[in-house]
Formats: sequence, C-alpha cells, structure tokens
Amino acid sequence: MSMDKATMELLARRAGLAKALTEFPDDVAAAAKQAADVMSKIKQPTDPAAEPWPPMKAGRGL
Amino acid sequence: MRDGPVGELQWLSVAEAAQAIADKELSPVELMKALLDRVAKLDPRLNAFITLDAEAAMAAAKAAEAEAVAGRLRGPLHGVPVGIKDIINVAGLPTTCHSKILTDNVAKADAVCVQKLRGAGAIVMGKLSTHEFAIGGPSFDLPWPPARNPWNTDHHPGGSSSGSGSGVAAGLFPMALGTDTGGSVRNPASCCGIVGLKPTYGLVSRRGVFPLSFTLDHIGPMTRTVADNALMLQAIAGHDALDPGSAATVNGHYAANLDRGVRDLRIGFVRHFHEIDTPAEAEVTAALNHAARALQMEGAEVRDIRLPTLTEFGAVNRVILQSEAWAIHGPWLRERPGDYGQLSRRRLMAGAFMNAGDYVQAQRRRLEMIAEVEAAFRQVDVLLCASSMDPPCRIDRPADIDRTYPRQARTPFNVTGHPALAMLSGLSVDGLPLSVQFVCRYFEESTLFQVARAWERSAGTDKKHPAIV
Repeated sequence: MSMDKATMELLARRAGLAKALTEFPDDVAAAAKQAADVMSKIKQPTDPAAEPWPPMKAGRGL
Repeated sequence: MRDGPVGELQWLSVAEAAQAIADKELSPVELMKALLDRVAKLDPRLNAFITLDAEAAMAAAKAAEAEAVAGRLRGPLHGVPVGIKDIINVAGLPTTCHSKILTDNVAKADAVCVQKLRGAGAIVMGKLSTHEFAIGGPSFDLPWPPARNPWNTDHHPGGSSSGSGSGVAAGLFPMALGTDTGGSVRNPASCCGIVGLKPTYGLVSRRGVFPLSFTLDHIGPMTRTVADNALMLQAIAGHDALDPGSAATVNGHYAANLDRGVRDLRIGFVRHFHEIDTPAEAEVTAALNHAARALQMEGAEVRDIRLPTLTEFGAVNRVILQSEAWAIHGPWLRERPGDYGQLSRRRLMAGAFMNAGDYVQAQRRRLEMIAEVEAAFRQVDVLLCASSMDPPCRIDRPADIDRTYPRQARTPFNVTGHPALAMLSGLSVDGLPLSVQFVCRYFEESTLFQVARAWERSAGTDKKHPAIV
C-alpha cells in the first residue's frame, strides 16, 4: 500500500505536522512510507469476532 | 577491610561482590573507587554515561561500608554498584531520555525498579546512554554522543539500552537496568556479549520509566552472568498496584533451577527465523547450531518448531509501538520537530500515518500470534532462536546500521509478552560478540535461567570479556 505525495501531505497536516512538513519534508515522507510498509505486512484476522489484545473481558490476561 | 585479593574488581560478578562485602572481605568503598577510576579512564571512549553521580555514589558506598561493618546488610545487593538507563527516573538526577526535549527534566522520585534495587542494597552510579527516547539508533545529532562497543569502539553496542550494555561489558559496573520495547535490552546484550533479560510483560513495574509503548514496554536486568541476572530480577520483580500493566502474581524464586542442567527439558529450535525469514550471517548460524548441539549433549531434547514469520511479528510490533508512541510524542513533534534527532523523528512520526483501525487490527493479530506461541509451548518447554542475525556493524556507517538493525528475532516476544533472554553464543572472526536467545512460558523465568546457565557453563561465556584497557 503506497501513499502519494498529496495524500501524505494531507495526512501530515491533519495530524498537525505542518511545521515538520516545512522543516523536514524528507523525514515526514520517510515516516509515511514506513507506516504504509508495515501496515501492509499484517494479516487481517479472518474471524470477525477476533479480539484485540488485551482481551476485552474480565479475567486473567497473561 | 579486605585481607586478600578477591580478583580484578572490575570483573567481579554481582554475586561475588555481594558475598565478599557480606563476608567483610571487600569494602563497598574500595569497589566503588575502582569502578569510578575505570569509568574515568574508559568512558571518554565508550560514552556509556550521560550523568555520572560519582559524589553520591561514593557517599552511598561509605554508608554501605559502615552498615556492613556493623553487620547490617540492606539486602542481597548490599554495596553493589548499578547503572540506570536514562529513561528510568532516579530522584534528583535528570531523566533526559538522551534528548534535547528533556534536557532539564529532573526526576522527583525513583522509579519503582530503582527503589527496589536500592532497597536490596544496590548503589546507583549514574544515568546511561540510550537511543533517543529508546527508539531510533546510534545518533550523532543529539546533545550527547552515542555509546560505543567495548569489544571494538568503532562498532555500535546495540540499543536502545546502549550505555547499559557497553558499561556492563566493559566492567564499568556489574549490573544495569535496561528497557525493552522491540528488543532494547537484548540487542545490546547480544552486541556486547552479556546477559540481557526481557521478563514476562508486567513482572517488573514500569512506574517511573518514560514510556515508549504502553503495551510493549518491559524493564529488564543486564549483567555479565546468568546467576547475576536472576539475582537482579529477584530484586526488581513484583506486583505494583499503581502500574496498570503490572501482573498480579507472587514472585518466583528465580535462581531455584540454576544448576539443575537441562536433562529432559524439551527445547524448540526456531530455525526458520534465521534460516528463512531473515537469513543470518554464517557465523551466527554456526554458533546457534553449536548451542543447540551442546544443550542436546547435556541431555535436552531438541526439535524444530515453527512460529509466525518474523516479518509479521515485526510489522505488528511496529504498528502498535508507533501508534502508542505517537500518542506520547505527537504534541512535541508538532511544536518542536527540530529538537529530535533525525532517526527518532522519522520513527516517531510514522504513528501519525496510522489510524485507529490499523492499531486495533494489529492488536487483534497480536492475540492470534500469542495463541500460536502458546501452542508451541504445549509441545516444548523452552524456545531457542537467534537474537541478532549479524555481528554489530561499524557505528559510523548509517547504511549498515539501517540494514542490520531490523535483522533480528527479538520483537516477537515483545508482541507476545513471553520472557526472553539473550546472551553470548560465541565470537566472530573479527572478535565481536554473536548471540543466542532463549524464550520460556509466562512467569517461568527460572526455567529460562536454567537453560541459559547450562549454556553459560558449557561455553564459558561468563569468562569472556573485551580486552579494552
């Protein structure tokens, strides 16, 4: 999943990173690329009822 | 106070030092003085310390000496010096997190783990270098230089607990505290040839430690021997009702199985981590095979076992870590992006590009991955796998740092919360440490120490020190 420059800049501004975008545009772009890269590597759970960790239930965790 | 020689003071283990002090064969003042002299001599090359608190350390050593002479020992670490990673609060000292952002952030109180170490008699020498906010890598654009590897100061010592690893390996102090969110105790342990433990999630209180990622952060002991690691864990473990992640358990006796050997233990060798997922350097693979064979010779049953891939473990770790870290650092990154070093700025801003759904999906997959590792622990008692896939590279080659830092198998156990220990497996042809990692079921650190001690005894890893003088 890649991110085009316009989308990256829009998301950066929405996250409040306007200053970083002006002063460190390459770092913002690198951060956006990292985020897109790692998210694409996670398998989606097939069970719609799959719980997140920690489990949303009373009782023992680990 | 001392009648005869107790060996070179810089290489005394925690257990040896504590015993010699209790037996009145060694003065805590003599030990502290020897270590402070060594710090003065070596630290200009190692940069392990950010804040050396020599005056307070010497005053505490004098008090410890008086108590020892009077037969009043505070605990099993009485008079033994310790270094503290500089994201962990020590009352009266700055917690800088190695960052310009927190240069003047003086801690009002000790972190719980520091309180516990002091309660056991340990003496804090000072605060130690880290990667900025425990993320990123060795950086030259921060207010303090990065720590260096005592086996070869041209090489990095791993991180983020880099000063802890460097200082323990160099004999500046016999034990240190580190933190581990994606492998940051075990990476410097691997690079510096010492013993580093990431305990079970929640076993050691995080209160008073600057967070990186709430659900992945662990505090762990770093020492030169396995027995010392158990001793240090015994001092810092325990439930803390004021830490929301603290496990409601009763402490084990972590040194209980140290010398039991490994006969009849079932060890699962996770070969695909270093053979398929992230192929390791040949020397690393050879040392892992050697460790597996040695434990088999000692009576363990060794079999191959499969877990989810390193790629997916790493991605789940990153999405959770960077989302949680963004929640912490967002306000500073918006207002003061130039006060971060480039490496950590890039890593920390990634969380701005992840949304709530990405975070929850990673946490859902995390629970499935935990179930897969738990299934493995129904077949075996211990896992053996790689820690780092390469020896530590040169610190002045950013491209090599970028290439080798992600080549590791530590993040899986931050994702799952299982206890994991990294230690020396051998030395490379260039004389740099290679590493092995052992992993156990939740709260079975005593079994982890049992296996690690068997390997240490077999390979003599506790006798190998860098030649730095």
